[in-house]
Order: sequence, then structure tokens, then C-alpha cells
Amino acid sequence: MGMEWYIVRRVAWAAIVTFIIVTITWGLMTAAPNPQVQAAVTQAAMDGENPAAAEERMEAQLQLDRPLHVRFMDYVVGVYTLEWGWSNTRNEPVTDALVTALYFTVQYSVPWTILTVLIGPIVGVYSAANQYSWRDHAATGLAFFGYAIPNFFFGIILLLIFGVQLEWIPIVYQTDVPVFSVQNVIQLTIPIFVLVTGSIGAIMRVSRNEAAEYANADFVKTAKAKGVSTYRIYARHVIRPTMVPLSTTMVGYLLAIFTGSSLLVEVVFGIPGLGRTLYDAVVAQDTNLVLGSTLFFTFVATIGNLLQDLVYTVLDPRISFEDR
Amino acid sequence: MAGCTGGDGTDTATDSPTDTEGDAMGEDTATPEGEVEIPEVGGTYNTVTSSPVDTLNPLFNTEAGAGTLIGYALDMGYTFGPGNEQIPQLYELTTDDGGKVWTGKVRENLQFGGDYGQVTAEDFVYLVQEVHKSDWAATSATSSWPETTTITQTGEFEFQIELESANLLYPATYDPLMYPIPKELLEPYVAEEDSQGLQEDQELLNLEFTGNLGAYTLEEWNRSSGQTYTRNEDYYMQEATDINQLFENAPYFETLESRVVQEQASRLGALETGETDYASVPPERVEEFDGMDNVNVYLQPQPYNEVCVYNMRENGWNAGPGNLFREKKFRQGLGCAVDKQALVEGVFRGYANVEYTWQPRWSKWYPSDADVPEYGTGDLYGQEATQSRIQEAIDNVEYDYSYDGQGRLLNPEGDQCTLTLYHSAGQNTERSMAEFIAQEFERNAGIVVEVNAIQGSQFSNQYWQQEIPENADELEWSKGAYNAGPRDEATSKNAWDMTVVFGLNTYPLNPLTAEVFFDKDSFYNPYGYVPSWDAPSLWEEANNAESTEELQEVLSEIFVKVAEDQPMGMLAFPSSRAGYAADIVGPQENFFSGWDFPAWYREE
Repeated sequence: MGMEWYIVRRVAWAAIVTFIIVTITWGLMTAAPNPQVQAAVTQAAMDGENPAAAEERMEAQLQLDRPLHVRFMDYVVGVYTLEWGWSNTRNEPVTDALVTALYFTVQYSVPWTILTVLIGPIVGVYSAANQYSWRDHAATGLAFFGYAIPNFFFGIILLLIFGVQLEWIPIVYQTDVPVFSVQNVIQLTIPIFVLVTGSIGAIMRVSRNEAAEYANADFVKTAKAKGVSTYRIYARHVIRPTMVPLSTTMVGYLLAIFTGSSLLVEVVFGIPGLGRTLYDAVVAQDTNLVLGSTLFFTFVATIGNLLQDLVYTVLDPRISFEDR
Repeated sequence: MAGCTGGDGTDTATDSPTDTEGDAMGEDTATPEGEVEIPEVGGTYNTVTSSPVDTLNPLFNTEAGAGTLIGYALDMGYTFGPGNEQIPQLYELTTDDGGKVWTGKVRENLQFGGDYGQVTAEDFVYLVQEVHKSDWAATSATSSWPETTTITQTGEFEFQIELESANLLYPATYDPLMYPIPKELLEPYVAEEDSQGLQEDQELLNLEFTGNLGAYTLEEWNRSSGQTYTRNEDYYMQEATDINQLFENAPYFETLESRVVQEQASRLGALETGETDYASVPPERVEEFDGMDNVNVYLQPQPYNEVCVYNMRENGWNAGPGNLFREKKFRQGLGCAVDKQALVEGVFRGYANVEYTWQPRWSKWYPSDADVPEYGTGDLYGQEATQSRIQEAIDNVEYDYSYDGQGRLLNPEGDQCTLTLYHSAGQNTERSMAEFIAQEFERNAGIVVEVNAIQGSQFSNQYWQQEIPENADELEWSKGAYNAGPRDEATSKNAWDMTVVFGLNTYPLNPLTAEVFFDKDSFYNPYGYVPSWDAPSLWEEANNAESTEELQEVLSEIFVKVAEDQPMGMLAFPSSRAGYAADIVGPQENFFSGWDFPAWYREE
């Protein structure tokens, strides 16, 4: 009962949080002047028409002439019934815009996440196993380099080297190649490389330090005394306790596996994914598109928090939600 | 690259046109004569754009970039070709009464797609009368069709447009330029007065009705990544070989792909590797790209100028009491402060022409025979020229401005005058221009200029547009946010001194349109300019001119007055720098390049 009740309360809380965030976003968007109305007013002013009449006409066209509470209720009902409306800057339904963007984001987001989650801890543990050797320094250097260099800059440099100089990869992203094709692998290699190098740094360093703590632990010494190979000690005995503090981070990564997107990398490599879609929508004040996606991401984040909390209880039985 | 002067700094011309003007009107462009070899059809033409477009609905689009994309699949009524010649596409506009009544003759070989059948004059007349002129549709062409302009069908393939008053340059206003839209497609929306439905109509958005009306047919539009078109083998202009023999089997590419590549480095990389056949090249890389074997860079004149606008409204000139910008002599002084040739060579790398009045020098309306004062060049440049004029101006005002012994302009409190100059954030060339102006003002005028970056939309909302005064009805005029009233009465939300954020159109084909920038009570006077010359009378004379010669004469006088009055710092006309794959045959170095795009081909 305790755990179930806790989950029910958290899900209900997630719904409330979502509602609050969506409401705030709606309020901010509504308070800002609508660029389409402004454009119409400008046009009218330039052409000797009455700007006030033009404003009224455009507001009626965009259904902005209704009372605020009616617009808000319409919006809330639309949001929760997945009727997210029409994107004014793309001239297609919001859901179509998000689905199309997701299709392109997933193609780099999935391999990016998997590689980050796999490579980060492995390099960290490897680094710990070879502490203060040139291998450790090389791995640490790589981690810091990836972490420090801005993705968009690194992306442009690699694009110039591999795209312009060597001509190994296309510069213009091809949207019409099949997802599982050699061409797609080729064109996504560099973006994924840039993202992975940018994201493994933190994981690698945390896992290195955690693993280093166990390098002289009793159970490691025992294993060594029993003649267990170094590889086996790290692969079987050290990596396990190392992963405990990293697990929650991992859950976050895995949760965003399909939605983790990078605006700058999408801009540099011309990938028409979620990052660009949402950024363009915000800049152009495409209210419907911004709000639909806000709801989506807010929901993912709040549910993600819940899952993280639940994972604690699975990893560490001493934590209990029974009496909460 | 013909017409290139940039890069090596050898062009030191002062009062002669720089080579970038070259054959700007395309009058020397050779037209194919005799037997012309018709190219093979094949391959793909690749192009890139820097941002996605909002809509491809021809009725509601207002963006130039989207206009080009629509144009691949759907021609408009007419265009202009080299020598400013009207090229009839869907229809030809002619007048025989000096420009009051214009007759449109529609081609008889135009077909819509689907079941919409032949294009007739009725489609155009219906579009204007029931949609553009309606009070519910709010299309982008609404303003082109005021109540006073009437359109009537006079035959199956003929319509007439009657204007309130004659206008010899009516086609060049682009007001009568229409897209062909099937009447049957529009009727349900007209009956319901459903503007929203019209905007979201799939046939309009995806250009599904275009039949033989464009060189290509739109196959796919991915909102974020671009468009794919295929060749339209029935393109109606194939019969227009009298215009260009190469139209005979046009277009010459099997497919056309336009991709959105937001990052400039990526667009240029794609041009270098041949992944795109076109990309705009920034000034600092023109020489590099033009040196490549597989790329040609074309310098194409364009109508937008670079101006330093002075705020003559009440909240302008924040360096002391009064507003010195309102003094003609002071503005002339500032005109002498900036070395325009150095600006063109230093900031624009030579890929621009200096500007002295509201027309580029290559325009047929430029007052070549008149004595246009060339502020910022020769004797009209330098500290002496600047400060002597400013001294005259400050002697003329009630406040005690003065120059100190070090050539600094002091306000009545004895502090050096300091002004702000806004430029668009993230625009490197514009920032360099602003910094150059600041240096020149400090050196020659003794005025300190603080250069500030700002987002264009923010500047427009909070500085450029004025707040409508509460007593707007009582004012001499109040015509909306861009001229909310006389300059003492209406001001923007925030004070500002100078800006280079907006370049303005000089309308080289139809300078009558430029009137809006120089009337104190027009609908566009954010800067609060009050001409010291009799602008209304001269513009009226120009509007009523009955012959080209008469018009030329009046416009000459107007542009000399503009040059003398210096309503703003008129600085330069930057050229477009279009990089094309070297094997693409068709681009030209003139204002009209692209008018015959369907006839472009790839040289084997």
C-alpha cells in the first residue's frame, strides 16, 4: 500500500507540476506581443490602412480576440486531449511537427545515449585501473577535452576536416536516406562522435574516482591474493559498487534516450530534429508548438524524477517509501 | 569574376562608380541569337537556404526566400529582365493612356493541375475582387489592391485595371503582380469567409494545383530540412522562345533540391565540395571562393542601402538640449565625417558602392546630369568640412554648443557630446560599419559614439516604432506606429540617437515608391524627418508626370534635394555575392539575374 500510494501521489503531483509549468509558459507567451499581429499592423501602417483595424483583423484570424480565460481553457483542454493545434510557423499540425522532428532526433539520440552510457564508465574504470599511467592521463585528457570544447565549434572543425577537406562525409544532411543505411551511418558518425565526447567526460571522471576508491579495498586485495586477474577484478568486483552513485544519472540519460537533443549540433549538421524545431518555435513565438512541446518535456522530466526516486529503493533496500 | 574590385585594395576610385556597378542593369547582357544549341536535360540543381520558411501558400507568404521557393513551381504574372524590360510570363500589362488604365493579356496555354482546367482572366479577377480586396481574407497582397483600384474582366483572356491616377511605373510597383489561383479552389472559402481555412489549405500549402504554371513541380516539403521538386515537362514557357530560345525545352534539371543549412560554414563547405550549386558568400571570403576552379562568385547589385539614421524626434539627440539632428547643416556636417570610400573598401571589402542619394548610381533614375553633392568624398570629407558645417549649425540654435581647442564638440554643460549608435546583434559587417562610423564621428566631428548591439525585433518594437499618443485625434497627423505624430508629439518607448539596424529599399525600378521615406506625414517616418525642401509638391509632380522624360526630370530634382538635405547618413549599397558552381550556366552580374532561371543548365 505504502509504495503504491506514494506512486499515486507522485503521479498526481507530476500532473499538477505539469499544469503549473504549462500555465506559466502560456502566460509568458500570451503576454509577449504576437509577431504576426505586429507584422500585419506594420503592413497596414506602410500602406495607409488603419493599423487598429488590421490588428483586429489579424487577432480574429489567429483567434486572439477571445477572452483570456476562454483561450486558456481551450488550450488546457487541447493540451490534455492531445489536440495541440496548428503551428503557425510551419503551417502543419503541431503533432506532425513534433513527430517529424522526433524521427530525426531519435536517429542520433539513441546511439549517442547508448555509447555514452557504455563508454563513460568503462573508460573511467580503465583509467582507475591504470591510475597515473599515460593511459590514465590520455583518457582524462580526452574526457576534459570533450567536456571543455564547445560542441558547435568541435562540430564545425570536424565538418571542415572530414566534409570539406577529406570529403568523407556529406556536409548537407540528407533527410531522404533510409534510417538503416550506410549513408545514414556515415552522415551521423561525426555528430554522434561530437556529442559522445561532450557527454562522457563527467561520467568517466566520476566512475574513475569511485573505482579508485576501491583499488585498495579489502575485497580487491583478497581477490588479488587469490590470483584473480586485474581485468576480472575490475570487470566483476570494482565496476559494480562504482555504478551505484552513477545509476541515477544513468536513469536520466536513458529516459531521454529518444528525446535528448542538441540544438547546436542540429544547427551545425543541419539535422531537422527537436532542438531546432523548438528553438525556431520559441524565437518565432509559435505558441501552439512551444506549448505542446513544453507539456511533453515537462511530463517526461517529472515522471523521470519519480523513476529516479524509485530506482533508489531498488538499488539500496535501506531506502523505503513505506512511511512517506 | 567580372566586376570584382575587392580584396586587393587597389581600387581607389573616389567619385567614379566602382566596378561592382558594372552592367548593373544588364543592358549589355548578350541575348542568344540565331540557332542556339538546346542543352540536355538531366541531373539535379542543388541549392541551400539559411532558414526554413513559414509557408508556401502563395496567398499568405510575405518572405522573399519563400517567394523563390514558390517561384520554382509557380510563376507570377510578369517579371523584369535585363534593361528593366517587362517580361510577360502569365500575362502582359500594357497601357495606352499614360498609365491610368492597364490591360492584362493572359497567355492561352496556361493550365492548372487536377480538374481546375485552363487559366483565364476570370481567375485573376475573382482572386482580386473576392479575396485580395475582401475584408476577411487578409492576404499578403491586400494592400496592393486599394478600393480605388478596380479590376474587371474584359475578355476570356483579358482584364483591365483602372487606377485612381495615372502611374507610368505601375508594373514596377509590383502591385498588379498576381499568382494564378483557381477560382474553384477559392470559392468554398469565399462563401464561408474562412481565412483560416484558406491559410491551411493543403493544395495551396503544397502547391498541388500548379499544373504547367511553373518550371518544376513540388514533390516534397519537409518543414525543417527543405523541398524537393521535379521537372515540369509541360512548362508553358517552352512556347516563349521569342523571349529566350533556351526556354524551348526548359527546365534543364530533372530535379531541384533546396536544403535548409543554417550554419554559414556548412553552406560554404557545401559550395566548395559541390554539394550545393549556390550559396551566398560573405565579403571576406569572396576572393577565396572566386579563386576556386569549381566556383564562380557573381556580384549582383541590390536595392537596399546601408544608412545611419538619426533620430530627429523629441527623444533623439541625447547629448544635450535641443536636437541638433534637426539642423540641415549639422546633418551635412555628419555627412562629411564618414569616408564612404574607405567604408566600402574596409568594411565591405570593396563589394559595395558608395551612396550619395536615394538611388544607386546604376539606376536609370539616378540624376547623372545633375550636380549631386557627394558628402563623404573628396572636399566634402574630413574634419574641416565636418566641423565648419557643424559650427554653422550650432550657431543657429539657441543652445550653447561649442568646439574646444581639441576639436571636441561640447554641450552647454561643457561635456563632450556623446551619442549612442545601435546595430543588429550578431551581424559582423554591421558591427564593423557601426564601429567605423563611431571612429569617424569622433575623429572628424568630435562626437563620442557608443556602439550598442541589439536584436532587430527589439529595436523595432521599443525604439523604431512610436507609442500612439492618447490625443492622437487632435494631432496634425497620426498614422500608426511608424509615424504616430509630429516629431515633438510622438516618440518611441525608449530614447535613441542613431541606428544602422535597418537598410531601406531605394526602389531603383520604381522610385515613386520611395516617397514614403521623405514626407513628414507619411506612414513611415520613425526618424521624424521634416524636409527642408518642398517635398509634397515635387512628389506630386512626379506622380502626375505624363511622360518618362518629365518623370526623369522631377525625380532628378528630388534626388538632388535628398542628397543636399541628408535626411539620414546615406552610406553604401552592398552587392549580393552569389557563389555558383562553375558549371552552372545562367547567372549574371546584374540586378535581374535569375529572371530566366528555368533556362539555366549545367555545362557538360
